[in-house]
Amino acid sequence: MLVAIAGNPNTGKSTIFNELTGAHQHIGNWPGVTVEKKEGEMSFEGERIRVVDLPGTYSLTAYSLEERIARNFIIEEKPDVIIDVIDSSNLERNLYLLTELMELSDRIVVALNMFDEAKRKYKIDVNKMSQLLGIPVIPTVATRGFGISDLQKVIVKGEFKIKKFEYPSDVEERIKKIENEIEEMGLKNARWHAIKLIENDVDVISKFRNEKKILHLAEHMRHEIEDIYGGDIETLMTSFRYSFAHGLFHEVAERINVGGVTITDMIDYVVAHKIFGIPIFLAVMYLAFNFVFLVAAPFQDIIDFAFNGKDVAGGHINGLIDISYMWMSSFLPQWASSLINYGILRGLAAVLTFTPIIMLLFLVLSILEDSGYLARVAFLMDRITRKMGLEGRGIIPLMLGFGCNVPAVMATRALKNEKERKLSMALNPLVPCGARIQVFAFITSIFFTNNQALVLWSLLILSMIVVFVMGFIYSRTIFKGEGEPFVMELPPYRVPTLKGITVHMWEKSEGFLRKAGTIIVGAATIIWFLAALPWGVKYGSPQSYIGQIAFLIAPAGKYLGLTPQAIIALIFGFFAKEVVIDVLFVLYGTKGAIAIAMTPLQAYSFLLFILFYTPCVATLATIYEEAKSLKFVTFVVLEGLLLAIVFSFAAYTIGLALGVGT
Amino acid sequence: MKLSDLKAGETGVVKNVLGSGAIHTRLLSMGILPGAVIRVVRTSPLGDPVIYEIRGFFISLRKKEAEYVEVDKIVPLHLVPPGSDVHVVLVDGGVGFIRNLNSMGISIGKKIKVVERCCPMRIRTDLGEFTIGMGMAYRIYVR
Ligand SMILES: Nc1nc2c(ncn2[C@@H]2O[C@H](COP(=O)(O)OP(=O)(O)O)[C@@H](O)[C@H]2O)c(=O)[nH]1
Repeated sequence: MLVAIAGNPNTGKSTIFNELTGAHQHIGNWPGVTVEKKEGEMSFEGERIRVVDLPGTYSLTAYSLEERIARNFIIEEKPDVIIDVIDSSNLERNLYLLTELMELSDRIVVALNMFDEAKRKYKIDVNKMSQLLGIPVIPTVATRGFGISDLQKVIVKGEFKIKKFEYPSDVEERIKKIENEIEEMGLKNARWHAIKLIENDVDVISKFRNEKKILHLAEHMRHEIEDIYGGDIETLMTSFRYSFAHGLFHEVAERINVGGVTITDMIDYVVAHKIFGIPIFLAVMYLAFNFVFLVAAPFQDIIDFAFNGKDVAGGHINGLIDISYMWMSSFLPQWASSLINYGILRGLAAVLTFTPIIMLLFLVLSILEDSGYLARVAFLMDRITRKMGLEGRGIIPLMLGFGCNVPAVMATRALKNEKERKLSMALNPLVPCGARIQVFAFITSIFFTNNQALVLWSLLILSMIVVFVMGFIYSRTIFKGEGEPFVMELPPYRVPTLKGITVHMWEKSEGFLRKAGTIIVGAATIIWFLAALPWGVKYGSPQSYIGQIAFLIAPAGKYLGLTPQAIIALIFGFFAKEVVIDVLFVLYGTKGAIAIAMTPLQAYSFLLFILFYTPCVATLATIYEEAKSLKFVTFVVLEGLLLAIVFSFAAYTIGLALGVGT
Repeated sequence: MKLSDLKAGETGVVKNVLGSGAIHTRLLSMGILPGAVIRVVRTSPLGDPVIYEIRGFFISLRKKEAEYVEVDKIVPLHLVPPGSDVHVVLVDGGVGFIRNLNSMGISIGKKIKVVERCCPMRIRTDLGEFTIGMGMAYRIYVR
């Protein structure tokens, strides 16, 4: 048995899906696009039922990706039951989608979710609604699991005697005429197709492009209806459906209190304020970041120390990897032990060190999203982000990027437009993550002791300018959108539930660990081979392949002011940016040695290179997982390299010419 | 006039939704349809986008999108200053509510006079003088 969950965005669809399927779920993408697809399994009295969560939509037109996915799924996969999750505190608009679903299926279950909130606004007569519609209607409070077992029961045992809603009789007559023709063709969903043909739906029209007779008939009928009622066909048909929703709403719901100021109004008065809105947003983000780093840092240090040990004045304290290496070397060939420990295990350790910060950033993101604040951010920032081709929500991934690009790339899911998502993913690696900022802090502390802050700020501000400019250029060239409208609902504020956030946080972190994790461990293994081969060389030394590659590139590095050692460090930095520091230490020995190996100008050029060049493997793996396109990943790699070369070269050449920092 | 011409706090009734393709259908499926009441809630720091209230929920529209919506400016009765004569253009409610108002002589097209604004509100119609609650006044729109 197959069940599909449909509904408007923000109605609690995911929460209901999670309640129904529990842990048995799988998150992926819809084929060929970056829209998330959730699938799971629920069992009821021994029967196993496949549950698919359709994208949240307001209607089922052919003009948005999500709506197309949802309706094509219903037409092609013919789910046995569709659950329409309705936000019952916003009944009228939610019922509109139901009118569209009713045209596609007879077996619909209505979940009147958010019933707790609705009770404060309306008295809803659930039985009457069920009778009027002829389908099961179940009140639910998904966050508390209320009504879920009733929902499961009616999915399997419910009675469906759906009472289709009807258009005015002069419209129905005309639908019928086309419907009859379509039935003769032997096509399913004849009524729906007839309605969509009348409505001039681009997809359905093109599906019938060889049926000239039907197309003509539909056009004729369309003009007749437009003449009778006056107005364009889309407005008319939508109005008919909305008046049904409006009528039904007033039949079953009675307002308890009208007017008055709601809590959401009060919060918005401050938070979405014309003047205070943006400063409040910046303060919120500042606090959130402080929280994330404050909490994540000790965990990261402990994990790093546990696995990798630590270099101290007197030598090196062994970590788990060193210990395990020595232990395995007692019964394995040395190279095998090194591969397992310094290749694979070190890769795993890198994934694990990332984990606390990723989980915490997702925690912040989930709170922003579930509380409803994200929509306000989008509202406040839209005018600014629009210049770089992104809607307001696009600001969030860019800001998260300062923490870590991995969750930031995953956060681009908040962007509903495919083009904008790609654009946002292409820009994100240009935002220096926490690890890169750490490297900057280290290098500036060596070379720019007197004006460290100034140098650091110059890098951060440069990155912001470049992100903005690249966004401006991209959005007008390669990522030019079709100008999809930005019509965004602002949901009421809700206190996020602990379960809701932990589930969100876990879903995303787990996705990263499992999928991107494998790629990272793979890359770590490759790097190990490059650093350990040919046989017998010291790991990562100039004689290893990595060393040889570095010396091969070294002449080119000369133009950018990069030393061969710096280039080796950059290559290792591909693995994880903070590694750049370790490698410099390994190659040069001491801080003092680093200080005399480069001029301040060379150091600055090196910093610029680190600022932009190829994001780390974890970010690339995540981008691949999100976009599912190697071409796109290659683009991101080249973009970074190119920018890095351009800026380093420019800075170094100009610096030399002016004789500064030499 | 265009929806984008309304200022914060003002209300309009939708006359027509222009445009075609994605923007047209999106506006329609959010319930922005001829006859619907739409209120400007607040504008963003740079004046665009703007939050509107329609059918009991809030949406944000960019200026460019709001320009597709043609509206007539209307005023909810509770904001009408005492002593003014106004015409009823719209009542927002179910059959019961409409019937209730009819019995007081309030229906679309009728002229009413606000005698006293608050509280309670007193109005004069063809059928005489009546007291109505603020909750009701919120849902009667006049011009
Ligand atoms: N009060 C209340 N909140 C709910 C209910 N169901 C979901 N929520 C909250 O509504 C928000 C959106 O839920 P989510 O499942 O992410 O919605 P989706 O966008 O439709 O998938 C979250 O903050 C949930 O915690 C409910 O029945 N009552």
